[in-house]
Amino acid sequence: MLTAFFGDMDDVVYNTAAYFKYNLQPDWLEDPFVQQMILGVDHSRVLGNGAIDSPVLGVIAPVSLSGGVKALILIDRVPDRVFNASNCGDNCAKWLLRIGARQDVTINLRHIMDFGDEPFELLVANTGELVTSMDELVPIAGRYV
Amino acid sequence: MRGRHELRVESAHLRYDMTFLRNITVIQGDSATGKTTLVDMIREYQLNGSDTGISLVCDLPCRVLEGSTWEEQLSYIKDSIVFVDEGNRFVSSVDFARAVRSSSNYFVIVTREALDNLPYSVTEVYGIRSSGRYGRLEPVYHQMYRIYGDEVLRNGGDGLLITEDSNAGYDFFSAATSGADITCISAGGAGKIFALLQKLGTNVDATVVADGAAFGSQMGRIHQLMQRRSGIRLYLPESFEWIILASGILDDKEVRDILERPHDFIDSREFFSWERYFTSLLVNKTDGTWMQYSKTRLNPVYLQGATKSRILSILPPTVREALDAGC
Repeated sequence: MLTAFFGDMDDVVYNTAAYFKYNLQPDWLEDPFVQQMILGVDHSRVLGNGAIDSPVLGVIAPVSLSGGVKALILIDRVPDRVFNASNCGDNCAKWLLRIGARQDVTINLRHIMDFGDEPFELLVANTGELVTSMDELVPIAGRYV
Repeated sequence: MRGRHELRVESAHLRYDMTFLRNITVIQGDSATGKTTLVDMIREYQLNGSDTGISLVCDLPCRVLEGSTWEEQLSYIKDSIVFVDEGNRFVSSVDFARAVRSSSNYFVIVTREALDNLPYSVTEVYGIRSSGRYGRLEPVYHQMYRIYGDEVLRNGGDGLLITEDSNAGYDFFSAATSGADITCISAGGAGKIFALLQKLGTNVDATVVADGAAFGSQMGRIHQLMQRRSGIRLYLPESFEWIILASGILDDKEVRDILERPHDFIDSREFFSWERYFTSLLVNKTDGTWMQYSKTRLNPVYLQGATKSRILSILPPTVREALDAGC
């Protein structure tokens, strides 16, 4: 289940790029789901040995991935920490939902992310309410961000 | 600082062309559009200059502000364009807002958060759009686009007129709709508009008039609400005072010149936002005259026949029609 706390939050990893830089584990990039997220958001392919082929930047190191996909990887691979998911654009929303379908994770959102028109499940930690659409989410999240 | 400043940053594979018109610009949008890469290139150029192979063309120095020592860094930066990437917690702080207020710099902030302490314009919230592809001879080309366009002036919203403020702007619209079917109420501040629209329910039928010059922080959640409630129309002039100035009732050449190129006249050190400048301009231009303007209470002269009509003529057709329909 994906749980989101909206607004300012204590004990959250705010600067996800810095955390990623110093905590990246080599085996993370070997995970097929992580590779799918990198392809889905950055349109980049993991070549192996930590090298990634980006359509814009050429062959890059993992630290040069987009801020959004770095945050997604942390949320998926370090589920016991809460990360600032406002470093993710709306094109990361479906991946957050997929992470939430695989495991229980909590994220911190400081803006209203657009999770799209399809039904989804998101637990709003501020109120304890389970929302299944943007129609339900916007009025609640808008109180906090 | 004042003026329009253009920036071109270019490497072997990437090129960014950007224009900055106000003291605060916010960049947001999808991931992987090149926001952080832009800031990285500016930081590299700042540290190592032309050794990087990066070309940076701008009439002002470009700097990157980051980390817990931001105040110390900023104390040495003057008359520059200052970039702040996402991941810098200080951007939402009161201390940062205070520093921006008295600064001679323009700030370009990458964030999706609503920066409630900063009065940034809804027109200065941008995304980055790219074209081209790595490996071709031409670099991937990045340009800014406005996140929020004119689609907010849609049809619907004829039942209620909500003004952001409770002062002169409210006085005007309240009088303009007096005796009509459309009711005018004040939200009591930009930060209260979302809650008011919520309170009005899913069948809300309202036109909101707010100061666009300082509405940037509210726009994210209001925009999301508008996606889901068709009965909300949003009109965001720079400010109510801008409407009066733009109506031409002062018949003043200097005012016309200013409205054509506000960025060349408004000094960010004196005015935190354009809205405050337009208030000051209107107060000064009418001082001691029969049209003397006060923000706290509207001079009744602005409600008289031809004057009122000229002010109303500035409103977009959809908003004017809502008022006309009401009247």
